Amino acid sequence: MDTALAANPPEAAGSAGTAPQLESFSYDDAVVRKFLFAMVAWALVAFLVGIILAIQLPFPVIPGTDIPTNLGLEYLTFGRIRPLHTNAAIFAFAGNAIFAGIYYSTQRLCKTRMFSDTLSNLNFWGWQLIILLAAITLPMGVTQSKEYAELEWPIDILIAVVWLGFFGVNFFMTLMRRRERHMYVALWFYIATIVTVTVLHVFNNLVVPTGILKSYPIYAGVQDAFMQWWYGHNAVAFFLTTPFLGMMYYFLPKQAERPVFSYRLSIVHFWSLVFIYIWAGPHHLQYTALPDWAASLGMLFSLMLWMPSWGGMVNFLLTLRGAWHKVASDPILKFFVVATTFYGMATFEGPMLSIKSVNALSHYTDWTIAHVHSGALGWNGFLAFGMAYFLAPRLFQAKLFSRKLANLHFWLATFGILLYIIPIYVAGITQGLMWRAMTDTGVLAYQGPTGFIQTVEAIIPMYVLRILGGLAYMAGACIGAYNLYRTWAARPAKYDVPVYQAAPLSKHYDGDPQRPAPTISGVTNFALRLNVWSTGWWHRRWERLPMRFTAWVVIAVVVASLFEIIPTFVIRSNVPTIETVEPYTPLELAGRDIYIAEGCYNCHSQMIRPILAEVERYGEYSKPGEFVYDHPFQWGSRRIGPDLARVGQSNPQALWHVLHFDNPGEHVPGSIMPPYKWLLEQELDTESIPVRVRAIMALHPGDKHWDKFSFNDGKPYPTGDEAVEHAKTQAAKIHAELEEQNDNGPYVLTWKEKVDEDGEVVKDKNGKVVMVPDKVVEPGSKVIALIAYLQRLGTDLNRTPAADDESGEPAEATAESDNKTATTTLGSVGVKGGR
Amino acid sequence: MSEQDNKPQAPQTPDETPGVQEDLLTGHVYDGIQEYDNPTPAWMTWIFIAFAVFTPIYLIFTLMSDGGLTPHGQLERASVANLEKKFGELGELQPDAATILKYSTDEQWVAFGENVFQTHCISCHGASAGGGSAPNLTDDAFINVKDIEDIVVVVRDGANNGAMPAWGNRLHPNEVVLVSSYVASLKGTDVANGKGPEGEVIPDWSAGDAPEPDATEQEQ
Repeated sequence: MDTALAANPPEAAGSAGTAPQLESFSYDDAVVRKFLFAMVAWALVAFLVGIILAIQLPFPVIPGTDIPTNLGLEYLTFGRIRPLHTNAAIFAFAGNAIFAGIYYSTQRLCKTRMFSDTLSNLNFWGWQLIILLAAITLPMGVTQSKEYAELEWPIDILIAVVWLGFFGVNFFMTLMRRRERHMYVALWFYIATIVTVTVLHVFNNLVVPTGILKSYPIYAGVQDAFMQWWYGHNAVAFFLTTPFLGMMYYFLPKQAERPVFSYRLSIVHFWSLVFIYIWAGPHHLQYTALPDWAASLGMLFSLMLWMPSWGGMVNFLLTLRGAWHKVASDPILKFFVVATTFYGMATFEGPMLSIKSVNALSHYTDWTIAHVHSGALGWNGFLAFGMAYFLAPRLFQAKLFSRKLANLHFWLATFGILLYIIPIYVAGITQGLMWRAMTDTGVLAYQGPTGFIQTVEAIIPMYVLRILGGLAYMAGACIGAYNLYRTWAARPAKYDVPVYQAAPLSKHYDGDPQRPAPTISGVTNFALRLNVWSTGWWHRRWERLPMRFTAWVVIAVVVASLFEIIPTFVIRSNVPTIETVEPYTPLELAGRDIYIAEGCYNCHSQMIRPILAEVERYGEYSKPGEFVYDHPFQWGSRRIGPDLARVGQSNPQALWHVLHFDNPGEHVPGSIMPPYKWLLEQELDTESIPVRVRAIMALHPGDKHWDKFSFNDGKPYPTGDEAVEHAKTQAAKIHAELEEQNDNGPYVLTWKEKVDEDGEVVKDKNGKVVMVPDKVVEPGSKVIALIAYLQRLGTDLNRTPAADDESGEPAEATAESDNKTATTTLGSVGVKGGR
Repeated sequence: MSEQDNKPQAPQTPDETPGVQEDLLTGHVYDGIQEYDNPTPAWMTWIFIAFAVFTPIYLIFTLMSDGGLTPHGQLERASVANLEKKFGELGELQPDAATILKYSTDEQWVAFGENVFQTHCISCHGASAGGGSAPNLTDDAFINVKDIEDIVVVVRDGANNGAMPAWGNRLHPNEVVLVSSYVASLKGTDVANGKGPEGEVIPDWSAGDAPEPDATEQEQ
């Protein structure tokens, strides 16, 4: 870059009155190079994990064998590595792309080096450490189970430090030291990104730790769901949209060498986007137990958001006016144009999906998956790789290795994304329609377990096509990585570090634009003022005051958030109390934590929507009051398997669950759920039960059930050693049920040869080796705790409350206790509940 | 690359390939990036205003509808209509022996009962009702059933300490009766590969009889 223009900022010269002293500086491109490497490497990891997941769905076992596609390893199971895929795509791939783009463009837009090379490097290495920790903990089943916020609290603290402490401080200090008077629109979007992600991250991750690797969110049920999707939706907004918009505002006009279409559109769409996006989170919870007013606001603000979102697309596409001949020949611009197109499609589709009646069909289906991939692969992916091709020759100071390969990458990626999303749209709509299909006689067309399997089998071919699409997209990325690598390999022995000169900003500035005269006349005073205001003349002043600008962004985001958050937490009628809903027993709580750790929510929802077909299929729709002890909520967002909100009512049998976990595909023919044999073998950690119980009790101070708990015969809720004892007693009861149901015998996992005292193998009369059980399902196994939780799920609604609160009698009058057959005494001491 | 980055755009004549229209520029330059002073496209402004106006109208209408326009109101109406579709011609069935027996031979309603069975029961009792993790229902042996109306009791209230759920919480009373009729129709059909008999062999169904005076306490 030459210094001619850099040395001559238009306003700096005249306003100060004296000849400005020029300062010399150079840009830190070394850190940008690092982020670019990391971006490409993590992109490949994210795509690879995605392809593994895509294979696991249509092929639960390796074809022709009975080896599960997860190789029988819990660490490779869908529920655990799906979060790895999303986290790798969002935080590793897109995250490093954001840093690369922001570090490169901010320095140039501010005419200054980043504030601190140390902070830049701490940002880089800190972020890679976070990703590494994610890649280790998620397959281990260490998760908060909130989508895109799965990482546990110690990593969350690290994220906050790296994001705000290293990246944020570095960025804002760079702004303070800039030598360009006004901030370009790209910087506005970066500011919004940094402050909003901080706010979202902190408030969605407020937890009570029960150990270094486990915590409970302070919110429960409806409120937890609200906070999660306030976060989740705005992670999309402020991690995958605003920084990328800012980057596009920099790289697109640079590459096209055309002025940005409209400065005024930039202002309008920036502020409307920042203010309105925040409201839209509840559209992820249409038809759920979230109060209807919140869901309605989510829908309405999503619709309002359509035009602010498209402001970016229109500004980008119209910037290319007169440069389309370049697009035809320049792979970088091709990437940018496709990215912009997918951005436009995704931001049209988003508001459409938030419309309640559309959402009723799309929610829990693959339609959502198609939508997010058109956003992530189309918008973020194409922009990131286009940017990589822009940066590579400049950063590596060598000609791009091959333009041809870049074009091949572009076409493979375009073909791949279409082959991914089109089948998955078809799959989503097909399954959604099958779920709701009802016959003339008013019953479900695809009813029961067989019917659900039919809806899965119908979309398996689409799942197979999706793998091919993913492979094509990844093949493109591999070619891109090779191309970038070869460009890097041709770098000079020593990078040239150009030195630039620019004058520092003077203290005083009087170049602000004057209030323009109205362009209309003969109207009311208000209309005149509006006319002048809408020219955006006042905004120019804000653009040279970064702290004030940031303060306004914070106000916009926080005010918009509070409008929804305060009523959600304060209005009691949002979550009407249900008398019979009680806390989980210690064993159920431990089982629930297994459900969370295994990532069951990735495939199973726990939310029956008030929709006829859904009530017919799963039972009474879910009530807000049913989730008050759910830390965290487990409503889920996709039904790869059926809803489990009332599984305790429909499948209470212990043996059914054990058979099913042992081999789902055999027990429910056609099921694509992987076996969970390790749950049958591994021992439940009972030692941590007291601290878990204590944490939940601390989150519900003064709850009457701590003094009088139905599942402890009306005595206080068991704590400490008593909690462990209570858990063991309940486990023994369920285990006894299991053995009784299993023809009065243990559930055998493996057999061994019978050996007599002399170590001789025992044979029967016919000379056949006698086999005896080797490993069996024990009362202390994880599966028993998980069954305890599943048996409880959704049943509280139908329990009869304690007959007489004052009598101190145990609440025996449950619906089930009328049952004449409830005479078993198998280990039921101290535990009741009609099971 | 260094030259192209900050090279000021050369003004071009408008009849050439459209280049930079100097007269429309704001004068802002950032690292070589310029901005036009074009207004916001009117269609965008108006669509935005349309949705902004729609918002309070929608909220007021749904709030004033007293739940009628909410998902819950819609479900209520749909449920009533669907119930009419299902049982309009049937009325309310009584869970007595005569009724159960009657519908255990009525082809149309056996099919309905089978539908309910396929929806809720096959997980444990098997797709052909020959048993799975729960007993075979196609043999003559029953654990908790002596008379035909006991089927309704077991279905409605559950059995075996909750292993058999109380379907009265989940199903319409007519559905309970009809699925019981279907189960009654299975007795003695002995499907292939069924589970071995559990409980006691009981006689053929009879309608209207009072329970046997010596009916013993039911066993697990």
